[in-house]
Amino acid sequence: MKKPGAGRMVQGLQIVGAVLFFGIPLFGVGPYWLGVLNQVGLYAVLALSLNIILGHAGMFHMGHAAFFAVGAYSTAILNTVCGWSILGALPAAGLAAGLFALLVAAPIIHLRGDYLLMVTIGIVEIVRIALVNDIFGLTGGANGIVGIARPVIFGLRITRPHQFFYLIWAFVALTMLLFHWLENSRFGRALNFIREDPVAAEGVGVNSSRYKLMAFCIGAVWAGFTGALYASQMRTISPGSFNFWESVVLFMIVILGGSGNQKGVLLGAFLVMGLPELFRGLLDRFPGLQDARLLFFGAALVLMMIFRPQGLLPPKGRRYRLPPEVAR
Amino acid sequence: MRITAVLGMILGLGLAVPQCFAADRAPVRIGVMAPVTGEWASEGQDMVNVVRLLAEELNKNGGAGGRLIEIEVGDDGGDPKTAALAAQRLVSAGVAAVIGTYGSAVTEASQDIYADDDVLQIGTGSTSIRLTEKGLPLFFRTCPRDDDQGRVMARHIKALGFKKAALVHDNSSYARGLAEEVRALFDDQSVAVVFYDAITPGDRDYSTTLTKIKTLNPDLIIFTGYYPEAAMLLRQKKEMAWEVPMIGGDATNNLALVDIAGRESAKGYYFISPPGPSDLTGEMSEAFMAEYQARFKTLPSSVWAVMAGDAFKVLALAIENVDQPTGANLARYLHNDLKDFVGFTGPIAFNEKGDREGDVYRLYQVDAEGRFVLIP
Amino acid sequence: MEVFIQQLTNGLAVGGIYALIALGYTMVYGVLKLINFAHGDLFTLGAYLGFTILVSFGLGGRIGVGPAVALGVMLVMGLSALAGHIMERAAYRPLRKSGRLSAVVSALGVSIFLQNAIMLVWGAKGLAYPADLLPRFVIPIAGQPVPLLRLVVFLTSILVMVGLYAFINRSRVGMAIRASAIDQGAAKLMGIDVRQVIALVFMIGPALGGLAGLMVGVSYGQITFFMGQLYGLKAFTAAIIGGIGNIPGAMIGGLLLGLVEAFGAAYVSVAWKDAITFFVLILILVVRPTGLLPERVAEKL
Repeated sequence: MKKPGAGRMVQGLQIVGAVLFFGIPLFGVGPYWLGVLNQVGLYAVLALSLNIILGHAGMFHMGHAAFFAVGAYSTAILNTVCGWSILGALPAAGLAAGLFALLVAAPIIHLRGDYLLMVTIGIVEIVRIALVNDIFGLTGGANGIVGIARPVIFGLRITRPHQFFYLIWAFVALTMLLFHWLENSRFGRALNFIREDPVAAEGVGVNSSRYKLMAFCIGAVWAGFTGALYASQMRTISPGSFNFWESVVLFMIVILGGSGNQKGVLLGAFLVMGLPELFRGLLDRFPGLQDARLLFFGAALVLMMIFRPQGLLPPKGRRYRLPPEVAR
Repeated sequence: MRITAVLGMILGLGLAVPQCFAADRAPVRIGVMAPVTGEWASEGQDMVNVVRLLAEELNKNGGAGGRLIEIEVGDDGGDPKTAALAAQRLVSAGVAAVIGTYGSAVTEASQDIYADDDVLQIGTGSTSIRLTEKGLPLFFRTCPRDDDQGRVMARHIKALGFKKAALVHDNSSYARGLAEEVRALFDDQSVAVVFYDAITPGDRDYSTTLTKIKTLNPDLIIFTGYYPEAAMLLRQKKEMAWEVPMIGGDATNNLALVDIAGRESAKGYYFISPPGPSDLTGEMSEAFMAEYQARFKTLPSSVWAVMAGDAFKVLALAIENVDQPTGANLARYLHNDLKDFVGFTGPIAFNEKGDREGDVYRLYQVDAEGRFVLIP
Repeated sequence: MEVFIQQLTNGLAVGGIYALIALGYTMVYGVLKLINFAHGDLFTLGAYLGFTILVSFGLGGRIGVGPAVALGVMLVMGLSALAGHIMERAAYRPLRKSGRLSAVVSALGVSIFLQNAIMLVWGAKGLAYPADLLPRFVIPIAGQPVPLLRLVVFLTSILVMVGLYAFINRSRVGMAIRASAIDQGAAKLMGIDVRQVIALVFMIGPALGGLAGLMVGVSYGQITFFMGQLYGLKAFTAAIIGGIGNIPGAMIGGLLLGLVEAFGAAYVSVAWKDAITFFVLILILVVRPTGLLPERVAEKL
């Protein structure tokens, strides 16, 4: 049992950590590391949205990149063809990804475990192939779409890595806040119930298909938003960035960090996206080892799983304060 | 707690990144952005080897106009997203110019980042037309463009007397672009295109596609993709005992083509390409190739790595001839003052778009011994 | 009609390879409920080991083509089995008691590790088995020339699969494997050493994967360090179509996948071939949610 003071201290340290984190661009961190952090941030949001589906609802979903792609391409098309601004296209991107998820997930939502996993991989591959083949003549084939505008917020055009840093990480913070509420709502509890025991959940009147589908759509909408941010940050998108492997990476982030725990997922994003870059920096002094960067990364993944099989920060059980008369 | 620790660690590393330095006659940093890992790793590693070797040599002889050259490698993994990070990294490392990279889509993802920071970029294998049509003042390339290649390919196909062609690409940015160029040039019905579709790169078995093409009975197969797939097509065509000739683009100019296909299957294969590493003439090229061979026990496997060498050569010349090696100064030199310079792959000069001037494409054919023979 | 038969043989040849790799996925899954994502890379490893044994050592020139191939096959299968065993001990056994998903991430880690290890050992450049490694014959089937080697590869995969099926269903060891697949606890109570069964499964699967790698190398020539990704994904698809955990299912899934690819490319579109394949997969699973031949045991989640 922790003393209440210790809990408050941890909380305090977390707040200090967060404040310090948002100060990073002020400490003269170069654009490269800011770029890395921005990438970590984007993947963190994606992984947090996947966490709703995989961590909370317990559905093995390995095709999240498909929704990310739909969001990014919707933004790119609305921006370059119809001339919408990035912020204007953002809701549309989320909506498009959500509708797409509704469409593809409805017939497959009842599939169990690994079958669902395979089907979601299939979906992400179909999306990629459709993009490569220039579906509807809108996606530009393998070239992708270029010349996507930068986001403009209150008249400020976001172009430099440190500006994106604030945009992306503010979005991460917002996501964590909203998803925190969602997880602790009736909806979140229902998802956990379905994950732990679908039969019992149905038994007490939880419509599991409906809840699962909703989880899928919420995750997809959020991936769509992230796609919009990604498109405006890269300014050029191509199908290669949305392949099956991206989905695998997101899957790894959630499981490695601790599925169902926001802080775990955030840590997972730092490790999976950041470690290879750290290795790059560390191995710079040994040119022979530079090529072995990903080899170490693979080994590190295995080791981390062996030492923390539930993920690095597994979720704590829900805790409720008992009414005083019961507690006594 | 843990998060704070990780943050601290990352913060510390960020601070440790060296800041750029610029003093007169100080060393100059040049970045090489190349796919050192990933699918095109062999191309990328060759690029880095070529540039490193040249830089070593130059530094031994006192550098470029008294400035030593430091090489900083940025691995783009052959992937646009990694490339954007690699570009940020090279910019942070304070490079004045960047050589690379191989794939067009990958180059595209990095162009803005260099442009924003006044870093000159010389593409080496990125032949997509678009790259130089954006009006970026600091972008150059030592490789030619796809439309040049398409023109030369169509001309040779007509000259060789083919009438009915199957046009196959692999849906990559490059192969599709080239295929579209060529198809457009056959719009006048000089050559009928009876088949137009994309194979999936990385597959091993293309007999299905070949069987389908065979029913259409073309007198030529045009494949605009890369050498691994071209070799598999040649090999499986031979296995079907089908003797239709095949022609390809510059991405098939790789010595591995014959290894994979086998001499018998590769015999008679045509391709359009700038001269390959083993055909480079001139004292400088021959000496360098010999040295490369001595150091790495093999020649660079394709001409694209040599293009990186050419990029280094012109950069070194530019650095020697400007006061301050800034992107803008180097670009001014390359645009206006670079004349009559002979690189490994022939004369080099840049037009106002940053494209290389002059015609570098040639027609080659594979002979019975598996050699690439230049057809005059 | 001729074209149809030609495409049929094309599809079966590719499908045979998928089926052989799918067996590795399905066997491991049957016993451990683990998707071994590193299986595709063991396939690559087999192809590279075969290259070293047959080409670099020039075994054919020393002891004749026939014995060299036989010895090569045995060595490749043995070494792949060894690699599979080491992998099981190092990366999966410590996670036996943990959730299934942590083992999946560990498997992905092994996959990344193996792929990069192969790149570092053999180089980033692809390698090529020489085209004249084996004598080449072309035999006519229905008036269309079919390379003999293609036929040999197909027959070998069918033979291996039938052999494996008989082994699992007829032998005592096979019975132990089946028992462990149905209920590990009960199998233990019946005196079956489940640990050994798992170790064995993790040698048979990789050995078959390695064999498939060798056959792909010999018949198609070109091998690359990332080739296992695509083949692994396809084979995994095949295993799922057939009903993962089910050995005849993997065979049927593999062959069916090969045929769908061939006919999809031949009669619809070459560029959309893989999309068609995945679409068919989804259709099959919508209609039959646990594949064509579902496992006999309900999956516990």
